[in-house]
Amino acid sequence: MAEPARQALTDTIPLHSERFGDFEVPADRVLNFPEGLIGFREARRFVLLEPTRPGSPFRCLVSLDVVELSFVVCDPIALWPGYAADLPPPADGSVGDLAALAIVTVPQNANDMTANLMAPLLLDSRTRTGRQTVLDTGRYSTRHHLLPRSE
Amino acid sequence: MLVLTRKLGEVIRIGDAVTVRVLEVKGNQVRLGVEAPTEVRIYREEVYRAIRKENEEAVLRQAGSIDMATAAWQSQRDKH
Repeated sequence: MAEPARQALTDTIPLHSERFGDFEVPADRVLNFPEGLIGFREARRFVLLEPTRPGSPFRCLVSLDVVELSFVVCDPIALWPGYAADLPPPADGSVGDLAALAIVTVPQNANDMTANLMAPLLLDSRTRTGRQTVLDTGRYSTRHHLLPRSE
Repeated sequence: MLVLTRKLGEVIRIGDAVTVRVLEVKGNQVRLGVEAPTEVRIYREEVYRAIRKENEEAVLRQAGSIDMATAAWQSQRDKH
């Protein structure tokens, strides 16, 4: 992906990862989660990597604060029609800035992978801030299967 | 743990901005009303624990997981 022209003094944050390598993350690629994630309060800053394969719905959300902490995520709005309607409207700002990520649990048998649709990561794409939000509706599970069960 | 006894209608204040009021007591169910600023999260404990547990299980531990997920996804697509 071609980098647009940047001024010389772009702030970057270093990422040292055994899994992903060492690189400098531009500040404007950082997603800020002021409260971290549930159970990971100290993981406040993340970078969302590009999909490893074109057309893959999965991306890695990598913590810049906790060593070797990363999650597989997907876009639940794209994958489940109607999901967007169940998301709470943003407290301020327009709905057009709303984006969401769902954390995917990939077990040994990847066919059994599940997405946490009950507690998506809601993002404001304009301010690049996020928050893991629990949907109160009771409609969604923390383990929503992505693939049909074949048993 | 701080243990307080409240009667119906009485309130507990937590910090300066959070209050919990006993709204109704019926059998072994207590209905509580919580007022707090929007930035303070309020969860049923069992829901919070389930989400925390799922987050912990989802932590990417194996380098190949995202590729396995992609492959499983692709192969499902290819069937249709």
